[in-house]
Amino acid sequence: MSKHLRISRRTVLKGFGTAIALPLLEAMNPVVSLAAEAKAAPRRMACIFIPNGANMDGWTPATEGKGFALPASLEPLKPVQHDVLVLSGLTLDKARPHGDGPGDHARSMASFLTGRQARKTQGADIRIGISVDQVAAQQLGSRTRFPSLELGIERGLNSGNCDSGYSCAYSSNISWKAESTPMAKEVNPRLVFERLFGGIVAGEAKASRAKRERFKLSILDFVMEDANNLRGRLGANDQRKLDEYLSAVRELEVRIARAESANTATTAGMPMPAGIPTSYQEHIRLMCDLLVVAFRGDLTRVATFVFANDGSNRSYRFIGVPEGHHDLSHHGGNKDKLAKLVQINRFHIGQLGYLLEKLKGVKEVGGTLLDSCMVVYGSGIGDGNRHNHDELPILLAGKGGGTFKTGRHVRFPKETPLTNLYLTMLDRMGTPTKVFGDSTGQLEGLS
Amino acid sequence: MPYRFGLVLLALSALAVLWHEPARPADQPAKVAAPKNPERIDFAKQVVPILDQYCNRCHSGAKPRGGIALDRYKDDAAALKDLGVWDRVAQRLRAHEMPPAKRPQPKQTEADQITSWVDGILGTTDCVRIKNPGRVTLRRLNRTEYNNTIRDLVGVNFRPADDFPADDVGYGFDNIGDVLSLPPLLLEKYLAAAEKIVTAALDKPETRARILFIKPTDKNKDECARKILERFARRAYRRPLATPEVERLAGFVKLAEAQGDSFEKGIELALEAILTSPHFLFRIERDPRRPKEQLDYQVNEYELATRLSYFLWSTMPDAELFSLAEQGALRKNLVTQVRRMLRDFKAHALVENFAGQWLQLRNLKNVTPDPDLFPKFDEALRAAMLGETERFFESIVAEDRSVLDFLDADFTFLNERLARHYGIVGIKGDQFQRVSLKGGPRGGIVTQASILTITSNPTRTSPVKRGKWILENILGTPPPPPPPGAGELSEDKKVVLSGSLRKRMEQHRANPNCATCHQRMDPLGFGLENFDAVGGWRDRDGEFPIDASGVLPDGKSFQGPTELKAILKGKHEAFCRCLTERLVTYALGRGLEAYDKCALDEITKGAARNGYRFSSLVIEIVKSDPFQKRRGRRGDK
Repeated sequence: MSKHLRISRRTVLKGFGTAIALPLLEAMNPVVSLAAEAKAAPRRMACIFIPNGANMDGWTPATEGKGFALPASLEPLKPVQHDVLVLSGLTLDKARPHGDGPGDHARSMASFLTGRQARKTQGADIRIGISVDQVAAQQLGSRTRFPSLELGIERGLNSGNCDSGYSCAYSSNISWKAESTPMAKEVNPRLVFERLFGGIVAGEAKASRAKRERFKLSILDFVMEDANNLRGRLGANDQRKLDEYLSAVRELEVRIARAESANTATTAGMPMPAGIPTSYQEHIRLMCDLLVVAFRGDLTRVATFVFANDGSNRSYRFIGVPEGHHDLSHHGGNKDKLAKLVQINRFHIGQLGYLLEKLKGVKEVGGTLLDSCMVVYGSGIGDGNRHNHDELPILLAGKGGGTFKTGRHVRFPKETPLTNLYLTMLDRMGTPTKVFGDSTGQLEGLS
Repeated sequence: MPYRFGLVLLALSALAVLWHEPARPADQPAKVAAPKNPERIDFAKQVVPILDQYCNRCHSGAKPRGGIALDRYKDDAAALKDLGVWDRVAQRLRAHEMPPAKRPQPKQTEADQITSWVDGILGTTDCVRIKNPGRVTLRRLNRTEYNNTIRDLVGVNFRPADDFPADDVGYGFDNIGDVLSLPPLLLEKYLAAAEKIVTAALDKPETRARILFIKPTDKNKDECARKILERFARRAYRRPLATPEVERLAGFVKLAEAQGDSFEKGIELALEAILTSPHFLFRIERDPRRPKEQLDYQVNEYELATRLSYFLWSTMPDAELFSLAEQGALRKNLVTQVRRMLRDFKAHALVENFAGQWLQLRNLKNVTPDPDLFPKFDEALRAAMLGETERFFESIVAEDRSVLDFLDADFTFLNERLARHYGIVGIKGDQFQRVSLKGGPRGGIVTQASILTITSNPTRTSPVKRGKWILENILGTPPPPPPPGAGELSEDKKVVLSGSLRKRMEQHRANPNCATCHQRMDPLGFGLENFDAVGGWRDRDGEFPIDASGVLPDGKSFQGPTELKAILKGKHEAFCRCLTERLVTYALGRGLEAYDKCALDEITKGAARNGYRFSSLVIEIVKSDPFQKRRGRRGDK
């Protein structure tokens, strides 16, 4: 069990004319300091999503085990090949229709990290399940300033139907805090930077910062009471929305309360990004830089990153592929299209390689930052033409604190649930759970 | 339109009697009789056996697949209680989504029997008995609404919500209560924005004077704080405050002073609290306190003012709406107010938010036409395309024209850049001007470059996407999605060399799996083939001359965009219904349900009586039950 920060300052406002009490930071437990934890570097989890499946001919190594030759799409991983596991044969069963008809793109994105079947709805009663990153975040969140970080490149589609009767909430989020609360992603590197390092006014006296934070907590206290007072005058659906609000208030309270003792986070020399770069590659890389800085400074231990939303029809003209990705993914066996898909897959892998090399470049107790990470990378669709959800393109990078034996290609029996990998990762993160989604047990042969 | 609902419509069970056929002799074989009159199909005898044979293997028992058990419906009375279930059943059957392809399939006549029965029960909806205005879920302000509301509340127009995470879309719009969620990241942004907004507001002399409208002396500080905060909060919460609420807010001043800070610091904190409160961030409609709260009730005048102003302006009510609500006179003056609001500049929000999403114009900023093939496409052209459609929509609202002009108006708005793109001479400058299109092939939204571009691929036109766009957004009859692995256009060299895109698509359509839907989509798209992937006119596609003719499934044939538009105009009832459904979804902030059918019928009828003028459509909507009323919370599962 993680040591949860306890807030014991619930102030009771007695209504009429009562002054609002200031919360007392002194009465709260300080954040568990890094020094107090075991000397070993903390373990981190990142989940990266790519859309529309992959051309598996350019992806799957010909041989299993160590020393496999990197296929065309994976070639950019050459410098970090020993840190990567290629996992073949995994299946995301809950992305299959199971009677829900079309909508594979929405479904595969929604179930990618949740391992649950999305309830088919355009809006009313959105329901799926908590995602693997959030399971870890809920348990580890109190140890870092941010329980988790959600990064992306594209906002959701902003009009029209996203995919065959599914709300866009399913097709633009992979991280779900609760069964009906998606964790919106931040797509602007500048805003990520501000969030990670903002709120600390340079040269501000400690006392005045403490007071500012106490005022913020009073405001949160006040609005929490507003929300609680509304109970009883609302219906069940309204109440669900209000519960989301309350849970967000609580999380923010904890964070502000902790800021007092929080590390003076270091930007590690990274300058503040100006905004969203026009180049897609530069955009992804800036986000990767931010992810590295956040892990490095132990601002968070859990992150998700969506390279593009499922069904994305982005053009990759800058690498000689002007056609839309989604259109191409329905290749119909056409050789030219298949070759172009390899180019796109390879481009994305190149960005993963960039991230992994950066992580590897950071020295930590007993190794590198990459050694303490587990980075899962892949898609919820196998072949974009068939929309199959078995034989998925999945990689796992980083040694998970010495718990994964990397540098291999491992093939699992047909229909092995992808969620078995997540179950394994949660175990290695120190946040074990008995079942996750449709998991049947931990993956064997990874360590 | 996907209808959803699981409300028990008890009133209907009485009606069920009407559909019961006279009892059959007991010895009659239990085979399915052919339907003679769809409304007279006997559920127990003519529908249940088919369900048993093809559906109930999965959809039965305590843990039915998809949560849908069909075996528990034994007779009409039981079935009629769950209209929503049957609506879904019919949709799935029609789309050939159910039963799954692996399972035995019902004969077409059997499937028709079920869908006719469903049509019967849905179509004969008794509007007197099934009154249900629906119940929208608490709506959080979306990004646009937040920006506009701050602009009008504080007088600071710096669009803080532009940095908020995207609002998710449901039913085609980003203002749907059920879909607007609130992750911790967003609350963090709200809190930070509140601080920035309050600081900015108190820095600027005019806005400062408006908020701190009285100066406190030592004696009347408390009273002053209460007055200042009460005035601000009632506008922020869009309703009057109860005394204890004001007292609690004023507590911030005491808090600040106890910390050695100023009166003004206390006000600042209270203002930040107001802007972070659920009363500000959500549009709260409180159920009246009364025992029979399962009954529908009229939303109060403040809530009505709020519904109105977010519908037409995407922002908070202005002083006039407030004052009418305060006097309890808004309902009495509804029509006058709607007309006033539509004339106000704030009605531009309808263009940006409603039209932007209905027509999917917002996607225009994401399209990436291939620069080698379309070297003339640039940011100026992209902006001009959007400008044309926005101004065109705006003119229909502002001039209160018939909504049928959307289909085939003989005018549009062009600037020099777009006019050049269209090959129209004599238009100078960046400003848009009204241009007559008489005698030309263009006119109406389907021939505008914006729509033609968002329905194209980066390298070529897509008649399928264009046809689908028309079916979805103009005619309101979207085709079902393609079955998985439906097959693609042949890219085989021989085939590519032997024919145009059209030829290749025709080959694709020869596949019977694809034919039914493509027969509906493709001809509509072919009719627009004279417009290239960025909406420019063309007579040839590569080396092939354009053939812009088409034959619709009903046998009507046409030649080129002008005749296509005439056909669309002939379907004006379908168009008005489609537009009404979209506008009502947007106005209510929820998906439409089967029980909304009656209101939709009335709205379209009312609009038709007034020549489909835009204002008449809006007025019928705001007068309708779903807009005026709300189901009590007992109706909220």
